[in-house]
Amino acid sequence: MTATISTTSVTPTRRRRRSARLSPLLVAFVLVPFAVESVWVFWPAIQGFWFSLTRWDGMTPPTFVGTDNYVELAGDATFRGALVNTVIWLVLFGGLSVLGGFGMALVLQKERRFVGFYRAALFTPVVFSLVVTALVWRVFYQPDGIADTLLRAVGLEQLIRPWLADPQTALYAVILPALWRQIGYVMVLFLAGLKAIDPALHEAARMDGANAWQRLRHVTIPQLKGVNAVVLSVIVIDSLRSFDIVWSLTKGGPYHSSELLSTYMYSTAFQSLRLGYASAIAVVIFVLALAVILGYLVRAFREEAS
Amino acid sequence: MSDFDPGRRRFLGHLGLAGLGALGASSFLSACASSASGPTTSNGSGAVTIQSNLSSPQAKAAMEKLIETFNAQGKGTASLNTIASETFRTQLPTYLTSANPPDLYTWYAGSVANDYASKNLLLDVSEVWKSLDDYPQSLRTLSTDASGKQIFVPMNNYWWGFFYRKSNFAKWGVQEPKTWTEFLALCETLKSKGVPPIGIGLGDTPWVASAWFDYLNIRINGAPFHRELLAGKQRFDDPKVKAVFTRWREALPYFDPKGKAYPFQEATTALLAGKTGMFLIGTFFADAAPKDALGDLDFFRFPIIDPAVPLAEEAPTDGFFASAKTANPTGTKALLSYLAGVEAQEAYVKASSGIVLPANPRAKASDSPLVVKGKAMLNEAKELTQFFNRDSSDALQPTADTALTKFIDKPDQIDAILREWQAGAEKVFKG
Repeated sequence: MTATISTTSVTPTRRRRRSARLSPLLVAFVLVPFAVESVWVFWPAIQGFWFSLTRWDGMTPPTFVGTDNYVELAGDATFRGALVNTVIWLVLFGGLSVLGGFGMALVLQKERRFVGFYRAALFTPVVFSLVVTALVWRVFYQPDGIADTLLRAVGLEQLIRPWLADPQTALYAVILPALWRQIGYVMVLFLAGLKAIDPALHEAARMDGANAWQRLRHVTIPQLKGVNAVVLSVIVIDSLRSFDIVWSLTKGGPYHSSELLSTYMYSTAFQSLRLGYASAIAVVIFVLALAVILGYLVRAFREEAS
Repeated sequence: MSDFDPGRRRFLGHLGLAGLGALGASSFLSACASSASGPTTSNGSGAVTIQSNLSSPQAKAAMEKLIETFNAQGKGTASLNTIASETFRTQLPTYLTSANPPDLYTWYAGSVANDYASKNLLLDVSEVWKSLDDYPQSLRTLSTDASGKQIFVPMNNYWWGFFYRKSNFAKWGVQEPKTWTEFLALCETLKSKGVPPIGIGLGDTPWVASAWFDYLNIRINGAPFHRELLAGKQRFDDPKVKAVFTRWREALPYFDPKGKAYPFQEATTALLAGKTGMFLIGTFFADAAPKDALGDLDFFRFPIIDPAVPLAEEAPTDGFFASAKTANPTGTKALLSYLAGVEAQEAYVKASSGIVLPANPRAKASDSPLVVKGKAMLNEAKELTQFFNRDSSDALQPTADTALTKFIDKPDQIDAILREWQAGAEKVFKG
């Protein structure tokens, strides 16, 4: 990035020779972010890997235990449950927010009356912090709260249950508020993508007799390729780091039924004070996130090259 | 002592926290690691910082008043940081191990404090205890660590019991039960009147269920067994522990089904509104109750199950300990001596909701009938226990929360639940 800027903006040959000697400014541009990144990201990450090979309570010095933590992870039913829940979360939260966001973007892309209001209304939840969102939804779910009142009003009182305290429903009751927020966000990404499509393409397709579905399938979706990649990586990363909403609503309970990898890591580290084991969970989360990000980057670079 | 600390380790710690984003997990953990040790550099003067978890409005106001009075006396200066109790609980190890920790902390006596003391994190306050020679031996023992020095200064204790509204019991025409049989009969009566007999609040505060476990265990197996179990010297899958759950199961049908979904504060509201009959809870619940309801509250002790078992009650002791790394040990001890004194303890009792018993034997408790009854109950007890997490550790508490909430939902699976609990507890004890 910095390199391209300096070579394109500096035209005279005399100056170009000087930039070949590496200007101190350029070095600073590379080294300062690298140093900051090292302290902020690389060093803690490496430390995290090291802690995952130790037993550590956060107070006394860590003791090296080799791969014990990973062996324990393999046989830990709670960890497996959290992994399964994380996958369910990824599929439901990710899938539905893409479908919902894309659907809303299609409906709201045409300029018509009040469309600005509808867009703003859908985007509003994104503005709230997830903890605030959780507080609002907690009121919604509480016994005799709005959810129960609504069900009673339509004669479905046999469905009423302690939404957040029932292991059958807790995970889904937490996904819903997360979706409520994420759909607005994904919608905005897709709206931007839709706006960038050349109307002439649609015009041409229409002239060729393509119906609405064919235009969506063969014009809109291929044109959104760039946005799709962004949306994919955003939702995968958001799914893996989902923590605040789950922690504020259920803390992973009741009895681990809404536990995600992130909440299990937190409770292992800061409630059970098993920081070595928690680091091992953190490493698993890191590897999962890295796999997705690398997959995306490789794809992006390949496209750029072609 | 300002918040700014040029120490490199602390700097790394903050940066580690800041880098939480992308690599969240690993950098998060390292934040604590970086501040795990380090020298103290500041000099021995300046204000004593006191971290307080007493965040309910009345208790917070009471603490503020105490610190104000202390500062006016001119023996030193202190500043109070009140922190939400859940945050305080999770952050306490980080506070204590940081390079430049706050000086004084509100916390609990017993196993929790001793555990920190065994890691040399707590200040030796034997000097403060020299002037506390009229304190009862039980409190002194409770405040002494394994190496025989005092590391804790108690402020007050309180009790747990079945709280109810006198007016409601009169309306329903029922009496306080003494034995387990009478208790179950009372539940049956209330249920027949359409009132959920037993209130509980497990949503967000699942630890409330531990009171049931503690009490049933000390009533059936006795306090010594209970302490050994919580210290890892007995097993959770022992038949004696299963017997606790067999008893508990007899009472399960009488629990308020909504109690799973709301926290104990809302369970309090439900009790006061007459939507539940009674509620096994500590006196701190009254901090959240309106003053006019206090006069109508009464309680009875957890019913006797086996008269042969020596009577024990839960009486958690709250107080203070100080960081071993305090830059100002003299000031910290001066503040502790003040807080242990008659004047401060009476002032605290007066300003808070008042349903606590001051630790100082010369300090007068409130003379409300409720407090008189509570004090009498504790005096009658042969043994006092603290509470599940205080008699074991905060690390063991989540294993109890999981096991007990699961039991309340699926009592049929008790054998599997106890096996899982034992496995979870072993992991915690192993570290």
